[in-house]
Amino acid sequence: MARIEIDEARCKGCGRCVVHCPKGLIEFSTELNERGYRYVIYEGDVEACTGCTMCAVVCPDQGVEVWNHRDKQTFVNTSGLTERMTHYCPGCTHGVIHRITAEVLEELGLLGRTVGIAPVGCSVLAYEYFNIDMFEAAHGRAPAVATGAKRARPECIVFTYQGDGDLASIGGNEILHAANRGEKITVIFINNAIYGMTGGQMAPTTLPGQRTTTSPLGRDVEDTGHPLRVAELLATLATPAYIARGSAHDAKHSITVKKMIKRAFEHQRDGTCFSFVEILSTCPTNWGLSPAESEQWVADEMIPYFPLGVLKEPAAQPAATPQEAQP
Amino acid sequence: MTKVLMKGNEALGEAAVRAGCVHFFGYPITPQTEVPEYLVKRLPEVGGVFLQAESEVASINMIYGAAGVGVKCLTSSSSPGISLMAEGMSYIAACELPCVIINIMRAGPGLGGILPAQSDYFQATRGHGHGDYQVIVLAPSSVQEAVDLMTLAFELSETYRNPVMVCADGMIGQMMEPVEFDREGRGPPLADNDWALGGADGRERRIVNSLYLTPEDLDAHNRKLKAKYDLIAERERRCDLDAGDEPADLLVVAFGTMARICKSAIDLVRDEGLKVALFRPITLNPFPFSELRAAMDALSERGSVLDVEMSMGQMLYDVRLAAEGSRAIAFYGRAGGVVPSPDDVATQIREALST
Ligand SMILES: Cc1ncc(C[n+]2csc(CCOP(=O)(O)OP(=O)(O)O)c2C)c(N)n1
Repeated sequence: MARIEIDEARCKGCGRCVVHCPKGLIEFSTELNERGYRYVIYEGDVEACTGCTMCAVVCPDQGVEVWNHRDKQTFVNTSGLTERMTHYCPGCTHGVIHRITAEVLEELGLLGRTVGIAPVGCSVLAYEYFNIDMFEAAHGRAPAVATGAKRARPECIVFTYQGDGDLASIGGNEILHAANRGEKITVIFINNAIYGMTGGQMAPTTLPGQRTTTSPLGRDVEDTGHPLRVAELLATLATPAYIARGSAHDAKHSITVKKMIKRAFEHQRDGTCFSFVEILSTCPTNWGLSPAESEQWVADEMIPYFPLGVLKEPAAQPAATPQEAQP
Repeated sequence: MTKVLMKGNEALGEAAVRAGCVHFFGYPITPQTEVPEYLVKRLPEVGGVFLQAESEVASINMIYGAAGVGVKCLTSSSSPGISLMAEGMSYIAACELPCVIINIMRAGPGLGGILPAQSDYFQATRGHGHGDYQVIVLAPSSVQEAVDLMTLAFELSETYRNPVMVCADGMIGQMMEPVEFDREGRGPPLADNDWALGGADGRERRIVNSLYLTPEDLDAHNRKLKAKYDLIAERERRCDLDAGDEPADLLVVAFGTMARICKSAIDLVRDEGLKVALFRPITLNPFPFSELRAAMDALSERGSVLDVEMSMGQMLYDVRLAAEGSRAIAFYGRAGGVVPSPDDVATQIREALST
């Protein structure tokens, strides 16, 4: 029989696993954990558990591990993250994207030569969570820091992890030029349509009509312009690049995000090109929605404006070696 | 070693390579553009990295990245560009990373002009970024000294893990003089260390960070930095005193290009029998307070001080601090790219001595 183990102490009670378990085997406890969250429990007809791992895939807090019916562990917390609990709000998908990024680096065997760059924004403390060498950069400047690090140490895998205020507003110039130069770095771009850390102000990606603390009547595009589609913008550059957009709002899309992030790091590892993955991410606190409503909002409002998929990828390298190519 | 005739900016670039720096990130601006134009050709010869950044904001952050992975690195700019580097310098100083920044000062404020000035003294020694941090500032007064101070700049930046600024003006940058380098070829890279990033394989992971959310921790960090700055102030003050016939009746204080011109002016007035000394700070930060005070104390009983700058009076504040009211201090300054001639300064000296 397949089974899961929930780490009660890590649970922030966001309930994403409750929503995403196909068999409805996870429910809220009546108790609070030591951090004051109503944690989730795995009870009832647990024989029905298929070990599908959906609960673990959507958990932003590394709170679930999974074993299959042969008692083989099929979902292991990645060694690419530290044990530290994140400070992210319950249901925020920053945690999911951290996990995916770390898993990819671990699976590709790159953790030991990776240098990550944390931004200013909610993920400013990413250096506490990624179990690798990390910089913390000034607001918006991560692609420049990455450029300096990568040019100085080309053997390192260098990535930035940036929010939409950081990357698309104050750091617009740095991202544009790093992409245009084709820096062999990877950029993980978290689009949550808002400034999370500073408490919910309008971001360059805030949707038309979306209410934020600095667009209290809803974003007026006549006054503040239209939301920036950064992936599309970068995809217009002539420089070869891998540009993709995914969404972390549910398990299925998170699995696609993982494929995209993997591809991005493979391109860097192989020295092919600049790689950029934009990921639509939830901000329940500043959107004023529950975690489940936030997921729905991504699906209903964000994805139509920010279509998902691979926008650009260099053609596969010709198989012929230089010698063979000679006449 | 043989002397070669070089333009100041090019000599600065070559001096960086001889000091072991082969990583340059910068953005064009007059009157320092010959630094990147020289290095773009020179660095490939030594397997280095040259990159023209999209802005000074980016170049200083590229420096942050390169310094953080443990390479000797250089950026170069002029006044408005240095203003844009302010935030980045604060981060680099906070994270205690070594790097060298050249500022070939031009006249301000605003877009100002492209001619030589010394109006970034406050910015270099007090200002630029936010927070309680300091940058070591070296001020050459000849092309040869610019070369020598570049070597020193890289040494100091590595020893103290701190940004060092070589602060010259358009005159030093643009003029050609014979120079001698104290070593052939590329100098050594940064010594092995326990702070540079580069992948945590086989060791504890490392973090380059300036965020401290607990006030006590940030206070402790500030105290640690302050202790370092105090040590630098104790050990690294540099200056040049031409005392002349003691005791002098006037002490002229000037740095960089202005000190050179003052030297010529003093030669003129000494021929007239006037007793004038020249004090030239070489480190603007740490400022040689005690040495300047000693030079003031050695003046004749009614001796006074004349501070001369290509600004509206910025180093003047440090000269006053050194004097602590013990001497009368006159000031002569021109701005906007007007470079006083030796005759102009001689007139000021005569006037100062006649009052
Ligand atoms: C130079 C500078 N300007 C402004 C700030 C304040 N600030 C911190 S985070 C932030 C917005 C971050 O939003 P985003 O990048 O969207 O990331 P999120 O918090 O939503 O993950 C701002 C404006 C700062 N730290 N530095």
